[in-house]
Amino acid sequence: MEEQLKIDFEKLLEKSNFSKKNIEIKRKNFNNFIEKGFPNKREENWKFSDLNQIISKNIKNLSFYNDLSKPNKIDQSTFIAGLEHNKLIFVNGRIEKIEFDYEEKNNIEILDDLVLEKPNNANNSLLFLNNAFVSKFFKLIVKKNYSLKKPLVIYNITNKDLVSKSVNLKFDILLEENSSLKLIEFSNDKSTTNFININYNFDVQKNSILKNYKIDNNSNSNIKYYFNNISQDTNSVSEIFLLSSGSEFIKNEINCNLNGKYASAFVNGVFLLNGSKHHEIKTNINHLVENTKSYQLIKSVLEDESKAVYQGKIFVDSKAQKTDGYQLSKAILLNENTEFNAKPELEIYADDVKCSHGSSSGSLNEDSIFYLMSRGLNYKEAKKLLINGFLLDVVEKITDSEIKNLIKNIMSLKQ
Amino acid sequence: MLKIKNLKADIDSKSILNNFNLEIKPGEVHAIMGPNGSGKSTLSNILSGKKGYKVSGEVLFENKNLFELETEERAHKGIFLAFQYPLEIPGVNTNIFLKTSLNAIRKANGEKELDAIEFLKLVKLKAKNLKFDEEKLNRQLNVGFSGGEKKKNEILQMSILNPKLSILDETDSGLDIDALKTVAAGVNSLRKNDNSFLIITHYQRLLDYIKPDYVHVLMNGKIIKSGGPELALELENKGYENFN
Repeated sequence: MEEQLKIDFEKLLEKSNFSKKNIEIKRKNFNNFIEKGFPNKREENWKFSDLNQIISKNIKNLSFYNDLSKPNKIDQSTFIAGLEHNKLIFVNGRIEKIEFDYEEKNNIEILDDLVLEKPNNANNSLLFLNNAFVSKFFKLIVKKNYSLKKPLVIYNITNKDLVSKSVNLKFDILLEENSSLKLIEFSNDKSTTNFININYNFDVQKNSILKNYKIDNNSNSNIKYYFNNISQDTNSVSEIFLLSSGSEFIKNEINCNLNGKYASAFVNGVFLLNGSKHHEIKTNINHLVENTKSYQLIKSVLEDESKAVYQGKIFVDSKAQKTDGYQLSKAILLNENTEFNAKPELEIYADDVKCSHGSSSGSLNEDSIFYLMSRGLNYKEAKKLLINGFLLDVVEKITDSEIKNLIKNIMSLKQ
Repeated sequence: MLKIKNLKADIDSKSILNNFNLEIKPGEVHAIMGPNGSGKSTLSNILSGKKGYKVSGEVLFENKNLFELETEERAHKGIFLAFQYPLEIPGVNTNIFLKTSLNAIRKANGEKELDAIEFLKLVKLKAKNLKFDEEKLNRQLNVGFSGGEKKKNEILQMSILNPKLSILDETDSGLDIDALKTVAAGVNSLRKNDNSFLIITHYQRLLDYIKPDYVHVLMNGKIIKSGGPELALELENKGYENFN
């Protein structure tokens, strides 16, 4: 693979028009990646998901050079219906459309000619890979006191032309003071066996609100890694909801730094997996100052031989008195070959805090099924109603009612 | 309507019911009384189709072999069990559950399913008759309900589904006297020439309000004596231990 990497990297530099400064940074990142390679289970963070093995098992002849010179057709049928929204559309990793029809143009800004920074997480080889191979790196700025009128949907569409490629995207989002954004990331994959590596950096400034809904619901054979870095200032709110269901493998890593007093972070998620799918959510919520709050709720329904992993960490700095941190995960295993791994971690250096965690997993309650069947529902209907009820609880946490209904529809949840 | 002949039931190779016989005709109300562990709940579980028992003998419901029917098919044919311990089902709205249940049964019987408006009209009326707090119907099924509310909810379901054979498994336990009267009135209002009831209870108290046609005494897995309502009073005076 190393030979291929070198050839593809040189080809990328040759065909692109990067600044001297960026080429220098890219080379550094490239060398770092060559040295470390894909993460494997010997790293604590990756012990439940050996990415190196997963990639070599699922992707034959992975190539790292992606020709972005020609535009791709946008399949409009993938658009979310019944919701007015702004659009950023990526097809096979190439930006095809930026459309902010609903917004005041002077209050948002999009930059794409940026100087790369050294990755802030020095141990993460996938960020090295991302920085080395990312072609354009975007930044969205929402100006002070501006709230987007409609949600922004980032479409990540891949079509059947994309096979066994490594796709790297990088996106920064800055919410200036007192601003807000509802961001839906919507994946639609018709491609096969690619490795998709996406890096988001959110800077949520004073009094700002970020709502981020990540929807991956279409069955596909891609392997995906998302690194979401969130930095929050005083009195800011971040709300993340993940529907992790469609791709063969996903690891969603969320690193959230609560840097300002009264900042709060909510991470809610659902794993709905079947077949041989294997998904992970790894969170690091860092309470760094007084009076911050975090809440995490993850629910899983696993079928066939699927596997889900939730590693949730709450870190409380010695300065962060009056921290309120909570996390809970619950899993329903519909088959004895499914697997759910939970690794809750609390690392607390302050003494006046309220932190709790819990995790449970098991099969559907047979007595509840009998109760429902004795009222005329067949086994399948009874099971569906129970699962519906189990999942509804976490979907109800979504604070935007329009998007909540959209997600209920996508998940075919009733009520 | 219901004919049980020589029913034997084991669980984990322990005999619970043995040589159990009972016949219930349309319109009749039968009460089965017995001490703890006599097999009362096993009987109601077997009739409604709970798995995990080894059974032999014959149970016919309207001349159909009950053992060949799945739990939900028994419900479709008109068997209803009011649970001794109704289950809490988180995340499932009570109204939606009731509507799903009613329409599943109507559909199985070739009847038109009720739409939301028709259903709400029906459920409102039934809830009012049972003095059941309507607001509770918008909550998760039995979650946060008191013991009495859970039992009332069972009777509400019964009155909405309008079954042919209702089995009440210790519906009186955990009810205060007012709730007991309301529940009994609910049951009595459903008594018709073609509806039958099997009331399972420890005490004769409930039978003060729901007059049975027959009373049976169940001990060690079989009926040891049958008679009219007076048998319940006799039991109450003597106690189970001295009854033989």
